[in-house]
Amino acid sequence: MSYLLKLVWLNSWRNKTRFFLTCLCITVAFFLFTSLAAVNHALNVNVSSINQYRLMTNHKVSITRSLAVNYQQKIAALEGVKAVTYASWFGGYFQSEKNQLAVTAVEHQSYFTLFDEYQIPSEQLTRWQNTRTGVIIGQGIADKYGWKVGDQIPLSSSIWMNKQGSFSWQFVVSAIYQTSDSSVDDKRVFFQHAYFDKARAYAKYMVSWLSTSINQSADVEQVSALIDQNFANSNAPTRTVTEQVFIKEQTQQFVDMAMVIKVVLIAVFSTLLLIVCNTMMQISRERIHESAMMKALGFSSNKLIIQVYLESLFLLVLGAFSGSLLAGISLQFIKQSFAEFLPGIAIASQHYLVVFVVVVIAAIISSLFPALAIKRLVISKTLGAIA
Amino acid sequence: MKNNNCIELKAIDKNYQKGQNLIKVLTDFNLTIKQGEFIALMGPSGLGKSTLLHLIGGLDQPSSGQVIIGDKRIDSLSERQLTRWRADNIGFVFQSHHLLPVISAQANVELPLALTPLNRKQQKQHAATALDLVGMASRASHLPNELSGGQEQRVAIARAIVTDPDILLCDEPTGNLDRKTAEEILALLAKLNKDFGKTIVMVTHDLKAADYASRVINLEQYMTGIEETDNGFSQLVEAEVGVAL
Repeated sequence: MSYLLKLVWLNSWRNKTRFFLTCLCITVAFFLFTSLAAVNHALNVNVSSINQYRLMTNHKVSITRSLAVNYQQKIAALEGVKAVTYASWFGGYFQSEKNQLAVTAVEHQSYFTLFDEYQIPSEQLTRWQNTRTGVIIGQGIADKYGWKVGDQIPLSSSIWMNKQGSFSWQFVVSAIYQTSDSSVDDKRVFFQHAYFDKARAYAKYMVSWLSTSINQSADVEQVSALIDQNFANSNAPTRTVTEQVFIKEQTQQFVDMAMVIKVVLIAVFSTLLLIVCNTMMQISRERIHESAMMKALGFSSNKLIIQVYLESLFLLVLGAFSGSLLAGISLQFIKQSFAEFLPGIAIASQHYLVVFVVVVIAAIISSLFPALAIKRLVISKTLGAIA
Repeated sequence: MKNNNCIELKAIDKNYQKGQNLIKVLTDFNLTIKQGEFIALMGPSGLGKSTLLHLIGGLDQPSSGQVIIGDKRIDSLSERQLTRWRADNIGFVFQSHHLLPVISAQANVELPLALTPLNRKQQKQHAATALDLVGMASRASHLPNELSGGQEQRVAIARAIVTDPDILLCDEPTGNLDRKTAEEILALLAKLNKDFGKTIVMVTHDLKAADYASRVINLEQYMTGIEETDNGFSQLVEAEVGVAL
């Protein structure tokens, strides 16, 4: 076995330029694969980690159209409903539009009872509930801007004007929330809907959406249908779906990421396979006399095929390792830049298993043609009928 | 070996299909080679010298007839059995040495020993002995591209004898070498035949090379029933390697 590994190692470095170029192709392929898998993971984990007993109700026509705040009481009265809260999208940025923030106005008494994934110290939550202009910020945003409880912060909105005719709003940091789940965004900002209603210049007592938690014994589909039926003939008919479906739909509005990932991966791996297959066939052709000689010496075809397979495997493992490592490093930076929009970017541990399977299969496919050539090799013809 | 006959070819037919034409290379061919003989196979190109060598070495199968090496019929062996049999019984030396360029001369010689039950230490010892025998001990650590043509062929011979096979099959072993180097290689083969009792079958076009053999078979004449023998090789070997026969 040692001679085999020695030959695999030495043969791999025989044509260094070809080896490095092929390895580079594999590295790029696995870099893309791992990066896209991390984005896909973020999309899935954000959806799957959401409480499936939480419903989202928004305007049937578009989420940009508002609903009346009194929908809260009407939904709360329906059978199977446990609690209802509401929120409105503020958008917002700090100092410059480049520093976009996910700012939401929420009903201050009930919102964090429903959304218990935000961990807020009780005294801070109470302080926020008692501070009209208070905001709760995530630890991530506190770290980014160096904000702490008690700080006055000006936030601007490109949508909402206040009664003073300004798009700049003054807030005070009342609480900082933590998250134990990496899929929960730690860079969000929440403020009181009551203050929003009082201070904004228009659309008073209107909300962007309502969130409903239902009893675990209740049927999700049934309660959703009941809510929508209730407002079917009103000025603002609703559409109610689970939060998982809502987030998935929002993401897919921009792009069907799963489809993009599939298409890119198919393209990348088809190219990769062709490149590695071509390299292995080239190698096999170049060494055909050596293979014939080894067969003449008594080495079986299977031993030579194993040698080709191990060489192909080594090339792929090296490329896959470098690609995954590079993706891992660059994701650390991407994660920070995209945290506001797509929290939870990470390489799932199962991904490494997928990489391993892909590498093993690619090595088998790429050594298929050389293996056939070795099997069909006629020693007497290859080494030359001289006389 | 039960009898003195080392190699027996009985009623061999060997045909090749080339397009729609059937090319008959050997027809009802018979040959017996005794143990310890040094045979030079000569004759014009296309007569089947290499084919004969490949049949003896189990690299090719006859269309009909029997190939008996020692007391074993090898024409009926499977590819797998033949591969194993070759590793145990035959040493090959080709016109082109086909050494693996990425490993040293020593490692090239050790290669066939990977198929034996010898441990690493024993493999190294055997390879060193073989290299010493062909006068290449001082170049053991060199890569093939650091050696001259003659030195490469010596290493190839060391690789062929390292498993101590009974039979050495040489296909134009001096075809790529200059006269002086060729004669050194031929003397070496003669020494292996004389001192170690190796049966050698060598295909050659070189009349001088044939002088080293104990029996010369001109295939063209052999097929018509005339065989050349005793070409005074004893004196030549004595002159080249200093071994009195």
